[in-house]
Amino acid sequence: MKICLRLLTLALLVAVPALLVAHPVRAESTLDTILKEKKLRVVIDVANPPFGVLDKSGQPDGSDVAVARQMAKDMGVELEFVQVPTAGRISALLAGRADVTIASISVTSDRAKAVMFCNPNGALSIVILGPQSVAIKTPADLVDKRIGITRGTLEEAAVPKMAPQGTKIVWFDEIAATIQALLSGQVDAVAMTSFAGKTMEDGNPDKKIETKLTVTTAFYGPIVRHGDFDLRQWINTWIFLNTQNGTLAAIYKKYTGLDLPPLPVF
Amino acid sequence: MNYVFQFNVVWDHLPELLNGALLTIQLSAAAMALGLCLAVLCAYGKSAGPKPVRWLATAYVELIRNTPFLVQIFIFYFSLPAIGLYLSANTAALLAMTVNLGAYASEIVRAGIEAVPHGQVEAGRALGLKRLQIFRSIVIFPALKTVYPALSSQFILLMLSSSVVSTISAVELTAITSSLQSTTFRPFEFYFVATGLYLAMSLGFRAVLSTTYWAVFQRRGVV
Amino acid sequence: MARGFEIDEFLYLLKAIPWTLLLSLGALFGGGILGFLIAFLRIVPSRPLRWLAIGYIELFQGTPVLMQLFVAYYGLAVLFNIQVGAWPAVLLAFSLYSGAFLGEIWRGSIQAIPRPQWEAATSLALSFPKQLWYVILPQAARISIPPTVGFMVQLIKNTSIAAIIGFVELTRAGLLMTDATFKPMIVYPVVAALYFILCWPLSLLAQTLERRIDANLGIKRHL
Repeated sequence: MKICLRLLTLALLVAVPALLVAHPVRAESTLDTILKEKKLRVVIDVANPPFGVLDKSGQPDGSDVAVARQMAKDMGVELEFVQVPTAGRISALLAGRADVTIASISVTSDRAKAVMFCNPNGALSIVILGPQSVAIKTPADLVDKRIGITRGTLEEAAVPKMAPQGTKIVWFDEIAATIQALLSGQVDAVAMTSFAGKTMEDGNPDKKIETKLTVTTAFYGPIVRHGDFDLRQWINTWIFLNTQNGTLAAIYKKYTGLDLPPLPVF
Repeated sequence: MNYVFQFNVVWDHLPELLNGALLTIQLSAAAMALGLCLAVLCAYGKSAGPKPVRWLATAYVELIRNTPFLVQIFIFYFSLPAIGLYLSANTAALLAMTVNLGAYASEIVRAGIEAVPHGQVEAGRALGLKRLQIFRSIVIFPALKTVYPALSSQFILLMLSSSVVSTISAVELTAITSSLQSTTFRPFEFYFVATGLYLAMSLGFRAVLSTTYWAVFQRRGVV
Repeated sequence: MARGFEIDEFLYLLKAIPWTLLLSLGALFGGGILGFLIAFLRIVPSRPLRWLAIGYIELFQGTPVLMQLFVAYYGLAVLFNIQVGAWPAVLLAFSLYSGAFLGEIWRGSIQAIPRPQWEAATSLALSFPKQLWYVILPQAARISIPPTVGFMVQLIKNTSIAAIIGFVELTRAGLLMTDATFKPMIVYPVVAALYFILCWPLSLLAQTLERRIDANLGIKRHL
């Protein structure tokens, strides 16, 4: 009888604290962790002009990099960049390598199945670019042409839908490699954001690269993992405030040369 | 962080992955055959050729063996077009793999050549055979037999190194896996299964190479 | 305007070299500890332990380094719910990889010690661990130096694969510089030359050591 009582007491002594720990009053969210450890980890792609580039001294720069820096500053935490190839921008976030990805991730319903979009902070258009010598005026002209596309991007989702059968799509892991492929003549044309295309055109006037077709336009925004509602809400609030005070428009204009279009909210 | 594993997504795409494995096998097998020929040529040149040939062969081997394969394929695919040489991704991959294997294998083959008892070579000379004839009839077979294990390991390494050719858009297992994981957002599941496929291919290649050894070298009796 | 490939760009490449070396040395250190353990497990009388070691070696020698990196990079956080940066993940992957190869090299060195040495140690009534520590290992260590140095070269080259997952070492620095300057014809050969400068002296060292140590021990050079 005494043993039973002792065992019961022991069980309670173990079970009660265990239950308390296992079901805390409120689970720690990603936002809590960020604020507690004073560090925000952001996935960026530094081979994706003008959203992410490397400046002359090898430091990250670009419109989304600037947004990340301002965000961390306003949050009052330290910023840590997680540089990944273009194809890994979403996977790295899902694998827990960072808290948020700010790398021109366009809003698509497929992506929304895997991640949560915050309100957009910019817009872009996907275009097909190629040298003057390559004749592409309509989607039908894409047949038998080699089109370079980067994995993990909006063009990966959009171009195969509009390209006719017979288009030879060539896949690369990052925009830098796709650009190099076009410049070295390994592909006839590439699909990427009009901004990346413009950087490529400006940097190589002798190659005479021009925009052939517009594939689609989209808004892009930061993404977080499913379940990180607190973080998403903070980011949305921050985007609202910085749209109002013109910071986002200033950053966008500085790096793209264009005016920021009215941003939707969802 | 709660990650829900979804291997069923991988299962749905298994045919594509297997197709990728087949492409890897084809690419590797072609590179093995061509690379071995290149290696034998290079080993012959290094051991029996005139000085400039020996110097060239040495430079080639040292250059390839002291630079990473990834940089080599970048040069084949991105740099060569600047001098007018355009290679498609799969051709560049095959060429780079051949050149790469050729360098490593030539050293192995050369060791095998040097291991052939010199008495055999002298006997060949006494019979009035020319250098090339001696090489073809007397030296190369026992040389390859001796170094077959080392060559097999090198072949397997070649097949494994084919995974990096995905970066120049060549189509094989890693490229297909990367595309699948970026469209389904399931990187861990796909890479895990792809790793298993590579392991299976390694074991498969090893079995085939052992069987080849038995068929080519052992059935003929004492050499 | 595209930047030309000038001193700034070259310096960026040079600044990436310490990362390549740090990764290589870190993996050598981590892999060294693992390799020692694996080599030990490979020769103990217990069969299950031996099989464990063999399984580990098969796994890391039979799968591509790129796949190992992907699985480590995406898997650590997912499987074990630990948040590690890219650097620890990559270091772990390369250490596991090195452990397999170093284990095999060192096992080979231990097994190259002639049987009489073991028998002499037994006749001195030394226990198995003591035999290893006082008699076998000092000799095996000497034999293992040339192939270990040779593996160091492999390791430095294989760190280039970390570029594919975004880790900034020499090869990725080359990719980024090509993106900035649009001159692959210059950048990649320069990167190759830098690797050559790092690796070739080590290769030569390995060859010299191999000749010297073999001569000293009087062990015939087997292929």
